[in-house]
Amino acid sequence: MSKLVDWARRSSPWLLHFNSGSCNGCDIEILAALMPRFDLERFGALLKGSPRHADVLVCTGPVTRQQAPRLRRIYEQMPEPKFVMVVGTCGSTGGVFRGCYNNAEGIDNVIPVDVYVPGCPARPEAIALGAVKLLEKLKNAQKQARGEK
Amino acid sequence: MVLDIFLGILQIVLFPGIVFCIGLTFLLEWIDRKYYADLQNRMGPLYVGWRGILQPFADFIKLMAKEDITPKAADRKMFTATPLFSVVVPLLALLFIPIANITGVLSFQGDLIFILFLTTIVAILIILAGYSSMNRYSSIGAARAGLQLMGYEIPLTLAALTPAMIARSLTITEIVQYQAVAGMSILLFPSMIAFGVFIITLLPELEKIPMDIPEAETELVAGWQTEFSGKKYAFFRLSNNLELLLGAGLAVTLFLGGPYGIEKLPGLTALDLVIQGNIVLSTVWYTVWFLIKTAIVVLVITNLRALFSRYRIDQMVRGAWRYLTPLMIGVTAITMLLSAVAPGLYPVV
Ligand code: SF4
Repeated sequence: MSKLVDWARRSSPWLLHFNSGSCNGCDIEILAALMPRFDLERFGALLKGSPRHADVLVCTGPVTRQQAPRLRRIYEQMPEPKFVMVVGTCGSTGGVFRGCYNNAEGIDNVIPVDVYVPGCPARPEAIALGAVKLLEKLKNAQKQARGEK
Repeated sequence: MVLDIFLGILQIVLFPGIVFCIGLTFLLEWIDRKYYADLQNRMGPLYVGWRGILQPFADFIKLMAKEDITPKAADRKMFTATPLFSVVVPLLALLFIPIANITGVLSFQGDLIFILFLTTIVAILIILAGYSSMNRYSSIGAARAGLQLMGYEIPLTLAALTPAMIARSLTITEIVQYQAVAGMSILLFPSMIAFGVFIITLLPELEKIPMDIPEAETELVAGWQTEFSGKKYAFFRLSNNLELLLGAGLAVTLFLGGPYGIEKLPGLTALDLVIQGNIVLSTVWYTVWFLIKTAIVVLVITNLRALFSRYRIDQMVRGAWRYLTPLMIGVTAITMLLSAVAPGLYPVV
């Protein structure tokens, strides 16, 4: 039974896209990753509107001071198990916005992050690879939890 | 006696009852998603099972295993009850649809009215679900759902009643048998208009894309479903799929000749007799034909979904009240007139 649940979790990652103050470059690339050429739906990914329905929070941007509490709230509204994927250099480290007075310099300073996809903006191929990496990581974690190798 | 009861329970629970219907909804959702992706030049689900055929099943299991959040402000009882009821009601209605036989698992005199009544109950459940979650987006979504579902309920009902008037019966089995003799009612004159209206009204009833105003993502997050997570959301998705199956099944039953296949064409009487003689053969034959016809209706709906973009609210309301309702009242009047003036047009069986 737990194997079935693990398989189902690996097979249908539903995305919620959140922009925490990015330049919108990476957001467009995320949409490109969902479009015909890269089509993340192959892995079962669907873009959802409500945090209550999603499994993977796809964030961009360096988290401006205004967005930080909102990002945290969106994250808390998502039901467990949940994962966070950061797209773009500025989401990972602050990138071009590093040292600015008004941001948290990276999403991992606000909420826990599972996968980083660097690039300014990140290429859609990289985003698709990031999604696959996330699913692989999830698979390994599930195996470890069951005590398998 | 005991065997009869056992068989009856088996029919309701396994085939063609609850388990079969739920499996069928997963299959139809996969067909829908694959075809939709194909129309958009995408692949659609690919890696879960053969060409992603298990994708809807995986989605369902995943949602069932997810955390189930009830917001503090929500009306707890209603919030828990509405997802359950919204699965039970379409399942109950599906038992009346003839799938593996020319009668449904349940049937009684005038059951068409009962099914149409059940579809209205689903609309009320949706409104209750939206209001019980006490979220602003949900409330607006529920208000829009009420506006939309109530508006399109009238043309839907009138469209479903047109073949019933032609067959002079409100019992689903009799309408199906009538079509076996007189031909599919989609081929009879006013009934083909009713079929078109029926398919169009299915879109707002199921909240599919050109009419997905109650859950408009860009405006309302996820409409009346916003606060539902985990099991409850899984139930709502299942309920929507069951309604799709119910709508397509009803279209097949009323307009496309139900589970009958080619054996009712003139000249194939021998085949007909062979099929009716063998119970296993007839079950398989009818089920396969029902599946083919249902899949065709679902593909038509998917095509419409991919073709159009969302309508504005005023366009939606106008579509229901200014165009479809008067059109259907006209069609109903013509049907009545024709069956009174020219009795030979619709043969009496
Ligand atoms: S990584 Fe670059 S392109 Fe992407 S959001 Fe940040 S600044 Fe924009």
